[in-house]
Amino acid sequence: MPSRHLLIALLAFASLGPAQTKAPYTAPRTIDGKPDLQGIWMTRNAASFDVSEVAESRQIPYLPEALEREQKGDRVDPIAHCSMPGVPRITYMPFPIQIMQRPGYVVFLYEYQHDHRIVQTSARTHLEDIDFYLGDSVGRWEGETLVIDVTNLNDKTWLDSARHTHSDQLHVVERYTRLGPDVIAYEATIEDPKTYSKPWKIAMPLHRITEAGFELREQECMEGDSGRAIHPPYRPAPKY
Amino acid sequence: MRPAVKFALFLVASFASAQSVPDLEGVWQPQQNNAMFSVLPHKPGFLLGTGSKTGIVEGGVLPYQPWAAERVKYRLDHMDMDPTGHCHYEGVPHAMYFPFQLFQTGTDIAMVFENMHAYRIIHMQGQHPKDGYQAWMGDSRGHWEGKTLVVDVANNNDKSVFDMAGHFHTDALHVVERFTPLDHDNIAYDVTLDDAKAFTRPFKMHFSFKRAPKTFQIMEAGCFEGERDQVHFNDTVKLSEHYDHELNTEAGAKKDGK
Repeated sequence: MPSRHLLIALLAFASLGPAQTKAPYTAPRTIDGKPDLQGIWMTRNAASFDVSEVAESRQIPYLPEALEREQKGDRVDPIAHCSMPGVPRITYMPFPIQIMQRPGYVVFLYEYQHDHRIVQTSARTHLEDIDFYLGDSVGRWEGETLVIDVTNLNDKTWLDSARHTHSDQLHVVERYTRLGPDVIAYEATIEDPKTYSKPWKIAMPLHRITEAGFELREQECMEGDSGRAIHPPYRPAPKY
Repeated sequence: MRPAVKFALFLVASFASAQSVPDLEGVWQPQQNNAMFSVLPHKPGFLLGTGSKTGIVEGGVLPYQPWAAERVKYRLDHMDMDPTGHCHYEGVPHAMYFPFQLFQTGTDIAMVFENMHAYRIIHMQGQHPKDGYQAWMGDSRGHWEGKTLVVDVANNNDKSVFDMAGHFHTDALHVVERFTPLDHDNIAYDVTLDDAKAFTRPFKMHFSFKRAPKTFQIMEAGCFEGERDQVHFNDTVKLSEHYDHELNTEAGAKKDGK
């Protein structure tokens, strides 16, 4: 009779097996020969509420002093005041993202608060002496993967509404890899020597919205409108 | 016709049509004077910038119906009613007074603005939504007429405005924009606006876009709700002093011989 440990190992092997033997997916190419990430995508998780859900080992390696700073800090999620959600949070806000590609550029159009990022994939250095909610993004292609190096982030955003914070030393490296026709693997390495004891990772799939004729709509943040609905029903509820 | 011949013709036709569409990609800077303050000719002054002798409206007149002209007068002296001061979206053509980078694929044209971290997606296919959708920037559908990009903007809400000077519209607003490349570095921008609820006739706006130097880069502008001071302008800033209100009405315009 197999031991319990062996059984678990067998089950684990069985579940990993197919994924490991499958040949890596090669994405269709854009006119300049780069993997084509274009389309409308969206995460399907609750990371925007608690990012530790998608963190490797479900742990965020806080420095004790950073945890203390966080406990004493603001208690209202900045997005409640319509602030941009920062990177990587903008990716896992539960709203669609349209990716457009042109030679030398990958453009992210986020439905959430009509945020956008224009990512140049030609080599350049990061900007100096300026910070942004969505940082300064410099992209490059590594085979099948779009790698975006994001710095110049301010310390005004949270990683989620569970008050996981960071400092202005935040450095994010995002990796976008097509896994198939309708899935992009998204990974981000999060580094911040003022907040975390070591770099840590989050990973999640972005799913293509395959509904025919689906388009981004306008999402305008209207905090402070004296009780008017903050998010009007700008799109009819999906039919299930 | 034999299928092979048909296919060859199709290839030639699609190649020709792909070739004939102008490439409008680049960073573009609007060439106009202070339209964000007022689309009409106006004197310089606080919150009306350095003024404008011409404005961007053809004939220098907005043909408001009498009730709407009254409302403009009121809004002029109630600065807190200007939604852009509260970081709201500008709408079309208001957003176009600011620089943007244009990205062009076969199905979509994206205009990405620094101002108000705005973008527009001009769909080159499909139709305006018919489910009651209304947006600050409306819904944009484009097509090519020769070398001119024609964009039909519908589904506008009644909250966006044309400028900071109280020039408003209703949700009956329908905008047709024409982007005509004049040469490699200039695009003529001609807009026809129609709003039967607020105006007596359609009217036009014109200006142009100039290609920005290659080093120009669209960055991030964060304008977030939370502005609490705008209401204080109500008592101190009288934008109405900068206008002859007769000119806002069709009758006044006729009297003025325009």
